[in-house]
Amino acid sequence: MTATLSVQSTAAMNHNWRIGFRQTVAMSKRSVLALWRQPALVVPSMIFPLFFAALGTSSFGRAINLPGFPKVDSFLDFSLAGTIVQGVLFGSVQSGSALATDIENGFFYRLMAAPSSRLGILVGRLAGAAAYGAFQTLFFSLLLLPFGMSIKGGPLGVLIMVVSGGLIAIAISGFMAAAALKTGSSEAVQGIFPLVFIMLFFSSAFFPRQTMSGAYKHIADFNPISHLIEGMRDICIDGLSSGAIARAILVPIAIMIVSFTLALRALAQRIAAQ
Amino acid sequence: MSTTSPSEFAGTTMRSASALSTRALRNTRRMPSTFLPTLAMPIFQSIAFAGTFFAITKVPGFPTDRSINWYMPLAVCMGAAFGGVGLGFSAIKDMENGFFDRLRMAPTPRRSLIIGPLISCYIRTLVVVTVVLLVSIGFGARPTSGVVGLAMLYIAALGLSTVSAGWGLGIAFRFRDMRGAAIMQLTLFLTMFLSSAQTPLNVMSGWLHTVARYNPATNILRLSRQGFLGDVTWDGVWGGLVALVGLSVLTLWFARRGLDSLDR
Repeated sequence: MTATLSVQSTAAMNHNWRIGFRQTVAMSKRSVLALWRQPALVVPSMIFPLFFAALGTSSFGRAINLPGFPKVDSFLDFSLAGTIVQGVLFGSVQSGSALATDIENGFFYRLMAAPSSRLGILVGRLAGAAAYGAFQTLFFSLLLLPFGMSIKGGPLGVLIMVVSGGLIAIAISGFMAAAALKTGSSEAVQGIFPLVFIMLFFSSAFFPRQTMSGAYKHIADFNPISHLIEGMRDICIDGLSSGAIARAILVPIAIMIVSFTLALRALAQRIAAQ
Repeated sequence: MSTTSPSEFAGTTMRSASALSTRALRNTRRMPSTFLPTLAMPIFQSIAFAGTFFAITKVPGFPTDRSINWYMPLAVCMGAAFGGVGLGFSAIKDMENGFFDRLRMAPTPRRSLIIGPLISCYIRTLVVVTVVLLVSIGFGARPTSGVVGLAMLYIAALGLSTVSAGWGLGIAFRFRDMRGAAIMQLTLFLTMFLSSAQTPLNVMSGWLHTVARYNPATNILRLSRQGFLGDVTWDGVWGGLVALVGLSVLTLWFARRGLDSLDR
């Protein structure tokens, strides 16, 4: 009899997992479809990074011969990683804002009232952000190739960069989701945007750390965005190496663990407060 | 039937404009959150650009070895320009809540509805230029041609705020809702950055060089940087002045036509 109960409970657990997984997939699909159906949400995070890449290439093209600048064929090679992370950051703010909008318009509470997986609400949103981040990485990489950019890591390098782009999106969206769950206000999440923008400018997104000096260099050295960018950049300008791959994958994972923990805690607090 | 003399008309215009500018400044005092981003962004831009793009000053032909001397005038001009389009946002808000209709029904000259907010914009621009200048001096900016050079920075900022205010109000009077806000900001952003915003013409290359050469914002930025890159020269000044006067006339006309279209 004990054996029968044990088999039944294992089957019930598997069944719950399957349902939870299906719900998470449905939530991910919903967040990706929302981006597809409302291009106005997506366009700025695609256009602005490309604009800055084009602007930077023409403005700073001659800087690649400066001492301390990494060896690159063109400024575009250098700027690809910064362009990708910039796009992913902007997209992640949108993802957090969409979760806050769900809270504002009551959809979040309808999910709470339904027998749905609590974790699925958060994971679904982050998975949607990851899919968009991976797509942005592929899109920027392919779009800039005809303009003279080269990726030393080759197709495998592009694949690793796509994975890294998805992980970066989860890492940053985790912070945005935490803010959305904590405040329940899309305005508050959008209010984080200037902070993201400031962190981006005080990183190595636009110029290498080796050419900076003084306080700026110290800030860029400690800025996690510099490290998110540089793993991907190494793959692009130096080619595949174990160090570059580890940086491109492990740094986003480390940040993802922190941000996901914060988001889970904020979710638990919101559920408890309900 | 009584007629109004030109001096009376001018007096009424200025009294109405003064009341409207006082209202705008009171709003700024009561809701600093509407003004603070206009002040904070140029400070941030000046410091961040100077630090991030510091190495570009080492490229042969770059006119200064202090990156903040190059980027601070850009930040000031961006702040002045965005402060100007801010008038467009305020006008849209007033139109949405019905206050603008009451202003239009009042027996005041139409032009005071443009001149009044413009005066408040000038006062805010003066605050922005002064604060950004002082902070930037704290971060290493050094004027190179004294008071005359600083005057060029103020002239460029005030001129640019006139241009952008005319543009912002013109768009606001035509769209009459917040759809216009994105157009105001985006056009301004593109115009400013597709110029010698980041590097001088002799350092840039490719398509941007061609665009920046014909972009009047390049002349305006050249004017604003006169006091920070060496001596003030007529060659560096006149192009900016012509661009500012020409664009101010055009955009203020655009705003006035938009205002008149509200009555039709």
